[in-house]
Amino acid sequence: MAILDVQHIEKHFGATRVLEDISFSLEAGQVLAIIGSSGSGKTTLLRCLNFLETPDTGTISVKGEVLFDAADPETRKENEIRRKRLHFGLVFQDFNLFPQYTALENVTLARELMAKSEKTGEKVEDIRKEGAQLLAMMGLSDRMGNYPHQLSGGQKQRVAIARALAMKPDILCFDEPTSALDPELTGEVLKVIRGLADQHTTMIIVTHEMEFARDVADQVMFMDGGVVVEEGPPSEVFGNPKHPRTRQFLDKFSG
Amino acid sequence: MLWNVTQTLLTGLGSTVQIFFLTLLFALPLGLLIAFGTMTKFTPVRWLCNTLVWIVRGTPLMLQLIGFFYIPGILGYRVWPSGDTGRMMATVVAFALNYACYFSVIYRGGIQSVPVGQREAGQVLGMTKSQIFFKITLMQMIKRIVPPMSNEIITLVKDTSLARIIAVYELTFTGYSFMKSSGLVWPLFYTGVFYLLFVGILTIFFNFLERKLDYFR
Repeated sequence: MAILDVQHIEKHFGATRVLEDISFSLEAGQVLAIIGSSGSGKTTLLRCLNFLETPDTGTISVKGEVLFDAADPETRKENEIRRKRLHFGLVFQDFNLFPQYTALENVTLARELMAKSEKTGEKVEDIRKEGAQLLAMMGLSDRMGNYPHQLSGGQKQRVAIARALAMKPDILCFDEPTSALDPELTGEVLKVIRGLADQHTTMIIVTHEMEFARDVADQVMFMDGGVVVEEGPPSEVFGNPKHPRTRQFLDKFSG
Repeated sequence: MLWNVTQTLLTGLGSTVQIFFLTLLFALPLGLLIAFGTMTKFTPVRWLCNTLVWIVRGTPLMLQLIGFFYIPGILGYRVWPSGDTGRMMATVVAFALNYACYFSVIYRGGIQSVPVGQREAGQVLGMTKSQIFFKITLMQMIKRIVPPMSNEIITLVKDTSLARIIAVYELTFTGYSFMKSSGLVWPLFYTGVFYLLFVGILTIFFNFLERKLDYFR
């Protein structure tokens, strides 16, 4: 069964329709890459999944549980959403690390707060130990005590990935994770994401890195003008695009 | 003579310091409430808070002082206890409300200058609204508002001299009283030294605070 099932998502900003009847599903352990030009709705879709935007219509289900149903106001309540959004993790384009906390504190803060407020019984030392392990996995063992402004862009983004992983999301989402990075720092972040894919982390990656998408993704979705134009395995979408818009878009990258 | 004057002025300074700290004690948190009030989506509260800020910023503090002290009596209510205590209470209430309104605008600027992405990062990590405010926004806001707040708080030191309009025996009033009682002018100017010292200490404190908050950007 699919871990994520999205049905008929639609979203307007005022009179502008930014998402139109989006439906897709994702199997556990698979990687979905969403490609498309700026303004195609990729980021908005990701923000809908993370409840940063509320879709006007449609449903979002994870592991068979309906997390969001636009027709059911019960699922739109603030407190409900706060719990449900933990099924998803989100890595932002511009990191959004908390500047007043060290790398390790960035990773553990939310878990520590949750342990305290919801009395999960988790020990602070255990959370910190786990946070340190995550940072080590990101190759940042020697950076744990550094504040964000002391880190490079690539390091910041890796801390942000560790921070998202710390909440143990079912599905980890990336919103153009390398777009704010210098080209030479892009590689270290992509390598980390590749590593996560090898460990069968379920991921949705909005990206402009076509080669990376072709390499890492199990599914590729091409969006244009708020609709899914084409979807399929990378070999199909990249190797044999069916829609002229997809071809047009990909041509720009092959130069 | 100098020693006598100094001793008298020090008692006046006592009142000045008292007005200063009591005003801060109430105005710092009250300002935050008013700031939230002016940012809420709930229109009646927002409207109310905006009107309050408009009235308080739109009229002289001296007028507000006189109003708080005398108007209840004129209307036939005994709000303030008699004597110096009542005068001091009216002063603190007027000052706290006035400064809270000014602080609220600085707070609002500070909160709004924290990027939306910070709040969103907290949200996707499942934090509650209050956790996001106290654990993420607040510290970044404080760092940003230290310079404008230091301005406002230093102004408060000197504004305390307005309290003499309702006969609070604060520093300026004590200095002035020498002119009437013994025809001495210099004690009034001597009070300037006390204000300078007070503000000097505050300036050192704010510089220290800014350096303390320098560990993040």
